[in-house]
Amino acid sequence: MTSTDKTSPLELYRTMLVIRMVEERLAKSHQRGLIPGACHTYVGQEAIATGVCAHLDTEDAVFSTHRGHGHALAKGMDPGELVAELYARETGCSRGRGGSMHLFSPEIGMMGTSGIVAPCILQAAGAGYSSLVTKSRRVGVAFFGDGATNNGAFFEGLNMATIWKLPVLFVCENNQFATEVPFSTVAGNDSVAGRGAACGIRSVELDGNDVLAVEAAARQAVARARNGEGPTLLECKTYRTRPHAEGMGDFTYRTREEVEQWKTKCPLARLKHHLLTHNLASAAEISAVEEAVAAQTEAAHLFAEKSAYPAPETATLHVYSEPRPGPHREAPPSEPGTRELTFMKATWEALSEEMARDPKIFVLGEGIGERGGNFATTTGLFALHGPERVRDTPICERGFVGLAGGAAMTGTRPVVDFMFADFVLDAVGEIINQIAKMQYMSSGRIKMPVVLRGCIGIGHSAATHHSGSYYSMYAHFPGLRVVVPSTPRDAKGLLKTALTGNDPVLFLEHRELMTLKGPVPEEEYYIDFGKAAVVRAGTDVTVVALALMVQKTLQACEPLATEGISVELIDPRTVSPLDVETILQSVAKTGRLLIVDEDFAHCGVSSEIAAQLADRGFDDLDAPIRRLNGKPSPTPYSPTLEAAVVPNPESIAHAIRALCAE
Amino acid sequence: MEEGKFLSWLKNDGDFVQEGEPLFALESDKAAQEVESIDRGILRIPITTPRPGDIVKVGQVLGYLLAEGETAPATESPAPALAATPPPQKAAATSAPTPAPIALPTPAKASATEMPLRASPRARRAAAQHGIELATVPPGGSTGRIRERDVLSALPEVEPGIAKDGFTKLPVTPLRRTIAARLMHSRQTTVPVTLTTRCEADTLLGFRKQLKAEAETAHLAIVPSLNDLLVKLTAAALKSHRMLAATWSDDALLLPETTHLGIAVDTPTGLVVPVIRNADTSTLTEIALQSQKLIAAARAGQLAGSDMQGACFTLSNLGSFGIEAFTPVINPPESAILGIGTVVREAVPLEGGSFAARQRLTLSLTFDHRVNDGAAAARFLQTLTHLIEHPLLALV
Ligand SMILES: Cc1ncc(C[n+]2csc(CCOP(=O)(O)OP(=O)(O)O)c2C)c(N)n1
Ligand SMILES: [Mg+2]
Repeated sequence: MTSTDKTSPLELYRTMLVIRMVEERLAKSHQRGLIPGACHTYVGQEAIATGVCAHLDTEDAVFSTHRGHGHALAKGMDPGELVAELYARETGCSRGRGGSMHLFSPEIGMMGTSGIVAPCILQAAGAGYSSLVTKSRRVGVAFFGDGATNNGAFFEGLNMATIWKLPVLFVCENNQFATEVPFSTVAGNDSVAGRGAACGIRSVELDGNDVLAVEAAARQAVARARNGEGPTLLECKTYRTRPHAEGMGDFTYRTREEVEQWKTKCPLARLKHHLLTHNLASAAEISAVEEAVAAQTEAAHLFAEKSAYPAPETATLHVYSEPRPGPHREAPPSEPGTRELTFMKATWEALSEEMARDPKIFVLGEGIGERGGNFATTTGLFALHGPERVRDTPICERGFVGLAGGAAMTGTRPVVDFMFADFVLDAVGEIINQIAKMQYMSSGRIKMPVVLRGCIGIGHSAATHHSGSYYSMYAHFPGLRVVVPSTPRDAKGLLKTALTGNDPVLFLEHRELMTLKGPVPEEEYYIDFGKAAVVRAGTDVTVVALALMVQKTLQACEPLATEGISVELIDPRTVSPLDVETILQSVAKTGRLLIVDEDFAHCGVSSEIAAQLADRGFDDLDAPIRRLNGKPSPTPYSPTLEAAVVPNPESIAHAIRALCAE
Repeated sequence: MEEGKFLSWLKNDGDFVQEGEPLFALESDKAAQEVESIDRGILRIPITTPRPGDIVKVGQVLGYLLAEGETAPATESPAPALAATPPPQKAAATSAPTPAPIALPTPAKASATEMPLRASPRARRAAAQHGIELATVPPGGSTGRIRERDVLSALPEVEPGIAKDGFTKLPVTPLRRTIAARLMHSRQTTVPVTLTTRCEADTLLGFRKQLKAEAETAHLAIVPSLNDLLVKLTAAALKSHRMLAATWSDDALLLPETTHLGIAVDTPTGLVVPVIRNADTSTLTEIALQSQKLIAAARAGQLAGSDMQGACFTLSNLGSFGIEAFTPVINPPESAILGIGTVVREAVPLEGGSFAARQRLTLSLTFDHRVNDGAAAARFLQTLTHLIEHPLLALV
């Protein structure tokens, strides 16, 4: 703890005053046009952030909302950095990449405010989970509004924190409105604490405008968390006395009288009165604090206004973490005597080797604990590493993906095992809005080593909820790595890279490849992302295929060879990053390109490859680029229908012949 | 194009014609072209077929491709010699119950003025490189688009023997072009140094003579050539001098795990280098059988691309031409090549002042100085010389 006691009444007053004065300054600046984006103020609610953060240390992790200036300042952010961020300057806490709704300062445990309502609840649970895995005393804290308590993340987050006794504080700032919508009109049970109790979490309701009450409740909740007694939900009743956001009208949904009435309950005025009446501080001491904070606020404004705007050429910096230095790593060549493993066994080896090496890796999923996973992904690992590191989850995909994100943000390495990638769709918001964007939003200061793995692909009459491909969708988003291996050897090396890198990875395993056997070298190896494999060299036509389609195309190649058609087969292995270079080189030789992809043709990876080749390899083309894709339809069940929607060796051979004849 | 001048049949009546084989020659607006058969079958040339120089129309029946046992339609008579069918895109399929009539194919550019010229980007690039007018190139694919291969086959053949500006122009064959490119690449990317040394070959030649004499009684599958013996011994020498088999890559020296050796083979069209697999672990007989097969394929122009890949070292023998020593050129990505000279009989001084006649041959080793220094290369030659002079050592 610092030399000044943050919990002393005069310090609580100072912190609230910093928040109030800085925001009043921001409101003015917004009017003057200094803030190009949104600005949601916290005026009227300062007691909550102040009372809670008074008990937090630097390493405790705070996750906040769109209304987060107060949380950042109370957690210790320098007002200059905050104001500069809102003024969109290079010196801002997020280097001008975020603005009001994306305030990051991981150095002081400010893990970010968010433009999306509710994920912070899951991320705070994730921080708590990290503490469980690393046995640290760090506490995770989520601040959120009443609006967020209607979101699934609230129930999923509270439930997970409760069942695993995570060291977390959930702080609901119930200001009674979500934008203009009164909470009472959108909540079947408008007691947030009551909802918490229903989830089995210790829940406390308190006056959020009484900083001393908040401070006392937080003291107890933080102590419980650090003692391993589990999470607490604090429902802090409060009211914001400025509009939802600066520049918005305020009296279509509430009256001036009501707002004036709440201003009389101003937490600063209340504490000041308390300080004076209980002789806790003199009038002179209080005005000294007021003068100091006013000067600090003015200095913050001047600092921000003087700061430079970020350079445009840095706009796409930090989308991914720094690439690993050194040359590309590849699997050793498999000699004739190399042992053969199934695809499943190969990825199991990768996971078990890396888990043995790095105690920060843990796995979340349904039935992956003692049972060892639907596809034997974690067989025997529960017995070796225990429930914290091999964790059976409730069926709340969105919840545990959000939790995984928060865990990664706080230094551990979650692996989320979905069984089927179809199930991940419930968590797409967490993946794309949070996990994929986090490194960028934090200007590279937070790393996101999350591995999301699951089965893809058509087969076994699995029908449409157990057969999607999805890699094209994920590859569309900057910030994600997307891996789609086609052999046991590649799968092992690529998974080991996923488990040791710093970027979030979608590791998608084709269901029909699970039992495929192939050579897997015994010695340890890694395969770096972004390098395609030339599966088969040829001269007449280039075929690019992924996952199962690599194997199907290989089957087509032999009969074609006897007809005198020599196929060069390329497996990109990773869709993001995509190795266009190797395909270009091949097409420079063959002049012909066929892309065979089980995924739909439109807006997919096959369209991307075709566009890149048309763009960069135009003069090498001796025929139009052709594609053979899965049919654009949900996957049918009946084998006759199922077979009709995916390419097979015959249709692939046919497409190759036709292209060669053009 | 609506019509053209018939030049000649390129197949005879009764010939079995494969799909894609040139069938007849035709002169269109600008150029002569060979028209390829789109079907297969037995060619039947009717008496009504046009004579060389006749103008024929698109769709006009010129002849028939028959299946086994099929006969040409009897309707044909001298009268409807120009009985044109509607212009077909292709000649009819062989499986059709009626014989497939061969007709003048409709080129994509049927009405030259309206349809834009269709050619692949690659074909356009090839046309620009060779300075050939695309409009003169007949398209050959299933879509009527001009492909690169159409441009290349439409290139005017340089007629040998025609003198021009004091030179006789000879065509550059594709193999010649490949050889030129590879040798240029070698020159530009290696630092070659050549060492030569002489070694005594009596023992080795005696050994071979013995094999030859006993071939029948010992049931040898083949008698290994001197070259096969040298392949075997070189592989043995490389075992203790792996760096001579190394490849330079920008960030590392790559040592091969296998010892596949290239052998330079002279063929009627030029030099090729097929590869003997696992020369270190193969028996002499296995090496001899491999090389026999590869050399035959090379001479027949039937080597596959894979037959010429994967070597870590090459042997080149000019001994049969009486060459004693030379400076062979490295075959990248390999970093060394051994030249083998002819066997000469020389007087060698013996102790005590007398002389004896000995058979000797010269080894010329060119190596890439980036990969090996002179001393390392010399040590390799020493080992090899010793093995040639004591070939039994390769057996142990
Ligand atoms: C998932 C999501 N839905 C909608 C919004 C738009 N939105 C921004 S703030 C807000 C109201 C949030 O209310 P509450 O959680 O009570 O927080 P408060 O603004 O009252 O502090 C809404 C709907 C959003 N940002 N995210
Ligand atoms: Mg609210």
